[in-house]
Amino acid sequence: MLKYVLKRLGMSIPILIAVLTLVFIIIRIVPGDPAMVVLGDQASAEALAALRTKMGLDVPLIEQYFTFLSGAFRGDLGTSLLSGRAVLDEVMTVLPYTVDLTIAGVLIGVVFGVPLGVLTAVYRNSVTDYIIRVFSLLGLSFPAFYSAILLIIVFSIQFNMFPVISDPDLSNYGQRFRHLVLPATNLGLIMVAYITRSTRSSMLEVLREDYVRTAKAKGVPRLVVITRHALKNALIPIVTVIGLYLGVLIGNSVLTEIVFNRPGLGKLILDALSERDYTMLQGVMVVYAFIIVIVNLITDLTYGLVDPRVKHQ
Amino acid sequence: MRQRKGLLCILLAAIIVCGLSFSSPVIAETTLKIGTLSNDANQLDPHVSTKSQDKILFPWIFNGLVRFKPGSADLSQMEADLAKSWTSSDDGLTWTFKLRKGVQFHSGYGELTSADVVFSLNRASKKETSTAYKGYADFASVTAPDKYTVKIVLAKPIPSLLGMVTNYHGGYIVSKKAVEKLGDNFKTNPIGTGPFAFSEYQSKRQVTLVANKDYFRGAPKIDKIIYRYLPDEASRELAFKNGELDLIYGTREQRWVERVRKQKGVKVDIIGLGELRTLHMNASKGPLKDIRVRQAIAHAVNRDEMVLFVGSDVAQRSVSVVPQGYLGYSSDVPRYPHDIAKAKALLKDAGYPDGITLNVIITKVASLRVPMEILQAQLRKAGIILDLEVVEHSAFHKLIRQDASDLVLYGAARFPVADSYLTQFYLSDSIVGTPTGITNFSHCDVADVEINTARSEADPNRQLALWKIAQQKILKQSCSVPVFEQLIVWARKANLDYGFKMENSLSNGPILNEMTTLK
Repeated sequence: MLKYVLKRLGMSIPILIAVLTLVFIIIRIVPGDPAMVVLGDQASAEALAALRTKMGLDVPLIEQYFTFLSGAFRGDLGTSLLSGRAVLDEVMTVLPYTVDLTIAGVLIGVVFGVPLGVLTAVYRNSVTDYIIRVFSLLGLSFPAFYSAILLIIVFSIQFNMFPVISDPDLSNYGQRFRHLVLPATNLGLIMVAYITRSTRSSMLEVLREDYVRTAKAKGVPRLVVITRHALKNALIPIVTVIGLYLGVLIGNSVLTEIVFNRPGLGKLILDALSERDYTMLQGVMVVYAFIIVIVNLITDLTYGLVDPRVKHQ
Repeated sequence: MRQRKGLLCILLAAIIVCGLSFSSPVIAETTLKIGTLSNDANQLDPHVSTKSQDKILFPWIFNGLVRFKPGSADLSQMEADLAKSWTSSDDGLTWTFKLRKGVQFHSGYGELTSADVVFSLNRASKKETSTAYKGYADFASVTAPDKYTVKIVLAKPIPSLLGMVTNYHGGYIVSKKAVEKLGDNFKTNPIGTGPFAFSEYQSKRQVTLVANKDYFRGAPKIDKIIYRYLPDEASRELAFKNGELDLIYGTREQRWVERVRKQKGVKVDIIGLGELRTLHMNASKGPLKDIRVRQAIAHAVNRDEMVLFVGSDVAQRSVSVVPQGYLGYSSDVPRYPHDIAKAKALLKDAGYPDGITLNVIITKVASLRVPMEILQAQLRKAGIILDLEVVEHSAFHKLIRQDASDLVLYGAARFPVADSYLTQFYLSDSIVGTPTGITNFSHCDVADVEINTARSEADPNRQLALWKIAQQKILKQSCSVPVFEQLIVWARKANLDYGFKMENSLSNGPILNEMTTLK
């Protein structure tokens, strides 16, 4: 098991290098100037050039690249070009917010998505099926920033239940939960939609299997057939989907964090991009790539849990 | 199944109860919560940052030797601030300021003395520590004859010298001890003498200020200011509506102003001085080398239509290349009234009977992009086709400084003296692409003599005359088309009272001080 984990982590190194290289190149191709962000538009060309030198941006690109790469593998993500703070410190400050949001989003997705998916599969082509499918389609096609604003208008402005600005004090658990509800619901709705659809198709496939028919014929109660025989076997594709859609979740968390003004990795990455904070952007991308690799690994390991036939040798 | 249903019900109930139980947030009465533009502070060092989100904070934290009357940006109404009095020699070269005694810096950094003022003004005049350094080039020396006296000796007379020592940019007085002790950290830990003292900075979230109980004009009535960075306009407005904020940076659109004004218990302040939106025409290449083409563009622009579109409350049409209200502004300048037939005739004369196509780069930021799209439609009527390339804001700033755009629509507010605008936008030293380049996008160089002479002209009337000639020459040469001035919009809860009439501000935001109350 440990050997497998280590092997998987080792295999992720080339992926990480590829991601880092791409990020490094792309951000530098796009025009923009971090020095101007710092000094503003009244700065002279001389002052801008001096600051670029101070930031280390006049060093040959290849040298900058290797400095960044070697730093990344030593766990040193550098310091932000703009704030001067260590990138890792900035990431660690906001990471709990992103972790809260992502876990809550996935939880909502699983808690509501799986039962709804089962329901639509079991009652396929019925009114229930159609209604749930229409809603899940809505969930898929709704832009996250729009649904976020709708949630705010209804639950913050109309009912005054939750704050518009989601920026809790992490040590106050009541506040932390209260500030999490709307952003997590926003993300969760998208996850519910994805999971409902995948669960439905996966369940439909399993429900057609011979052993399910056999179980039914033997007189096994319907609920037991659905949960123990069908759902258990339909779980593998669902787990895969959850792992895969984590990327989608991260994309939507950027929008959610912005609308709710919630600190987080998504907001950090977008700010870094618009301000051309190269080191910060590279650093956050390393963290993101690493998270995706870890999530994929966890997804693979979960297969073993949900299906004993899958063995990790 | 029943069990699961029960569980779901409990979960839902928990969410709702939790929401309700916390639904009435405890708000300290004298905490002023502000939602500002941008996603983060840039630098909280007043000598360095020229960014709106930082500039707004500076007059709350710092003082100058003199100050603009709160709510005004009129150079003729300057009043004493850290200095209680001042004199100048007959030749205008030596200025002596007497400081107030007993003024304390925040966080126990001690009493303000002449050493702090000498340090601050020297700091403001150095390229390494200030972005305002160019304005202080004619300062020969700043000395401290005694603990409460500061003497400034100039190499050349500067008629608007008080503007250099006021509560703006290089004129802010910082604590010498704090800058030396904090070093690079000063930019996130500013120490001044103002009504509010810096307390905490949380990266990408907020700055907290607390009342300076020892403020020399009296303790502020507001105990705490939370200044939040909320880049998304919609959620800023929603949080304001929900009572989570008392004062917000508004959207500079007529529709927004009208909608928010209708809300109960809300007041909208429209603050000058305006940002002048100017269309700079790059005369160094292509058809724009020909003055007739530039004049054709000037005639094709319809300012009235533009102001109507942007909104009469938040925009005003402009006449000169210097914004209205600036010292030295002149309306006695060549004008190019809207006249499509004349524009077409000029183009024909210049050898373009079928019109021209220009490549234009514009930011995706709406406050510049939308007016540019309107200009595109207006110019099309005269046969001038603009090939617009919309890019990200950061890329826009980089590209326009590389001469990549034939026309540059730019908005800016500067220190309200004609010199600041003329120097940065029309002096040949400031032409983009040169080492000393700033924002002269048009490559205009027709008024160098007037701009440079006016800067150190001792006779105020002669100085005004020189600035007027400069504006006339620039417009005669059609270096640029002044289109409209965009005002700044803030919305506040009616229980927030500034304590004075808030008409103009150089900081892009309202002035908050010991007179401000939140009931």
